[in-house]
Amino acid sequence: MLLLKLIQSLFKALHSEGTPGQLAAGLALGSFLGLTPLWNLHNAVVFALIIVLNVSFAGAMLGWALFVPVGFLLDPAFDWIGRTLLLDTPALRPLWTALYNAPVVPLTSFNDTIVLGSLVFAAALWVPLFFASRWGIVRYRATVAERVKRSALYRSVVASKLYNLYRLFRPEA
Amino acid sequence: MTHIVGTARVAVFRWKAVRPLLVFGAVTLGLWLVFADRIARRTAESVGTTLIGAEVEIERLHLDLPHGRVEIHGLTVASPFEALQNLLQADALVADLEPLPLLEKKLVIDRLTATGLKFGTARLTDGRAGGRSDGVMGQVTRWGEQLQVPALALPTGKISAARLDPAQLTTPRAAAALGARADSARQAWDSQLKGLDVAATADSARRMAERLRGAKATDVKLLGDARRTLGQLKQAQDRVTALERSATSGIAALQAGAAGLTDAKQRDYATARGLLKLPGLDAPDIGAALFGPAAVGRFQRALYWVELGRRYMPPGLLPRATPGPQRARRAGATVRFPRANGEPAFLLKTAELSVQLGAAGTIPRTYAASLSGVTSDPALYGRPATASATAPGFRLGALLDHVRPTPRDTATASLAGVALPPLSLPSLPIRLEPGAGTVALSLAVQGDEVRARWTMQSDRVRWTRDSSGAAPPSPTGDLVWRVVSGIPTLAVSASLTGSLARPRLAVSSNLDRALAERLRAVAGAELAVAERRVRAQVDSLVDGQVAPVLAKVTVLGGDVTRRLGGERTQLDDARKALEQRLRALTGLPGVRLP
Repeated sequence: MLLLKLIQSLFKALHSEGTPGQLAAGLALGSFLGLTPLWNLHNAVVFALIIVLNVSFAGAMLGWALFVPVGFLLDPAFDWIGRTLLLDTPALRPLWTALYNAPVVPLTSFNDTIVLGSLVFAAALWVPLFFASRWGIVRYRATVAERVKRSALYRSVVASKLYNLYRLFRPEA
Repeated sequence: MTHIVGTARVAVFRWKAVRPLLVFGAVTLGLWLVFADRIARRTAESVGTTLIGAEVEIERLHLDLPHGRVEIHGLTVASPFEALQNLLQADALVADLEPLPLLEKKLVIDRLTATGLKFGTARLTDGRAGGRSDGVMGQVTRWGEQLQVPALALPTGKISAARLDPAQLTTPRAAAALGARADSARQAWDSQLKGLDVAATADSARRMAERLRGAKATDVKLLGDARRTLGQLKQAQDRVTALERSATSGIAALQAGAAGLTDAKQRDYATARGLLKLPGLDAPDIGAALFGPAAVGRFQRALYWVELGRRYMPPGLLPRATPGPQRARRAGATVRFPRANGEPAFLLKTAELSVQLGAAGTIPRTYAASLSGVTSDPALYGRPATASATAPGFRLGALLDHVRPTPRDTATASLAGVALPPLSLPSLPIRLEPGAGTVALSLAVQGDEVRARWTMQSDRVRWTRDSSGAAPPSPTGDLVWRVVSGIPTLAVSASLTGSLARPRLAVSSNLDRALAERLRAVAGAELAVAERRVRAQVDSLVDGQVAPVLAKVTVLGGDVTRRLGGERTQLDDARKALEQRLRALTGLPGVRLP
């Protein structure tokens, strides 16, 4: 089921009316949801951005789905990054102390090694991911997109009910 | 707002999605409000379970945020030590919160009232969380295991020495070290003796004496040479004396080392006895064998709370990492950054508790207890955490002072006139039901130093044969039964001193003397045989390595003494001969040669 949804997301995103830039921006924003622990305040902000900004929603869902396993795999690295920043970098300690004792900020769980490590990683990955995926989408649409559109698998996917739901949030050209 | 992509203008914002987003946000908020109580209850249960190390269950929790109040009904905290027992149950807890710190994810409780607190109630399922080897529980369990409690067992038949591991014996290691020292000393002395070159000096003196035989008293040059030779002889004698002194002290040190092997062997005998679980016949051993495990259990429980306090209420203001929340992803660590003059992450200013206690066979009565200053950041709060409760026959006082860098934890509790829990004597099919009695525990842990005492007294003890099969019938059990079954009173006292890393346990009871005498009479001979067997086993492992070393030390001492004596004799003889010649040549009686 999960795999099917992933394929649906992939097809919908790659063949949407959105520009490659919109799709790439959505994918890069969605990567935040996948890379960082989901139930955190910062992801509410990311989700709001995905909705409000004119980026591909399907791209965001695709980014989310693609980066969830990456997040699980990289948790040890996130933990290391978080520990390094929170505990082993004395220069940053005044910043963390100020944030920890400020209103609302502690509700983001920034002082959790996994949350901070994954957030920093996702933020650093955003720009390269945006440009790499935009280039990839342009290449895809120029080469194999038409053949895929004619395939039976694609037609069965776009005929599903989920596709109709997606159309509500498709990017505005 | 728009921007240009290629040749087409693309809007940056998707304005039509703002309304659904707001609706989504409102629905989310509504759902949170509907499920807030449930979410808070689950969070409280999860956090409590992690903190205590046993299941925390809450029947109902209500968040009354407008009034800054939380109500908890039906709180059950399982015991982290006993499988089917609760640590406490409370009918209701009402906490008045300060709302502003909540925005900083901090919980400051101004006042907590708890009603219907009951301790030690039964439960149907095992509520212990985590393994016995995890976290603080594992730490305390390992700590308890280092307190060796002798087992009370009459040695019958052959006692196997197979478990005696030679690696645990200290004598062979000491013998090897002493042997190496002896070899090294021999090498050094040999080299120094060679360096003295006594034979050459003595030969030179003897040749000079020969030359003087036919010389004249007017041969000033020869006389001068003779005096120089005599001076060289004296210097050689001084060097021999110095070497003798050094060798004497070295030999004395080696002999002291050899004597130390005897002490090491005594320690190995004790180690072997302990490994073979042969009890001593002294009264303190009996007390430790009978009540040691129970005392260790009490001390472990007390230290468990002390360690939990130290873990979650650490002194100082440095950043602290604690395990992160449980989730599908890795938990990581949550780091707190306390700031001077800031609010602690958790603070319970005061708590008023209504405790239900009852003497055996009576209806429980309600008594008051209080708690104050429980905080995750004692250095910020600046005052120690205290707990106190007083009731007829019950007294509790505790102070956890983690304000200063060296934590100081003290607690004292006593309970009189209540039914004391039954005890099974270790490895014996005997069960002790102390009935109504008095039990007291006091504990002081300052830094790493611990001082604790547990006492139990009862005037109406009941002894029963334990037929559950946990401990099979044995001659020791029969013997102990004959002695204790006629004793109606019980007074046990256990003390724990020293550092947490190296604690010392002492246990005594009024049964010790009676049992020791009886055991000595009945089993003394058998125990003596067993001990002789154990000693023989140690001897067989040790003597083969010790004897050559002792012989080496003895031979070395004699050898060095003999060789030095020989060297000295050579020099003395040569000097005597030379002096005689000189006297004869100068012919002046009473004249002392230089």
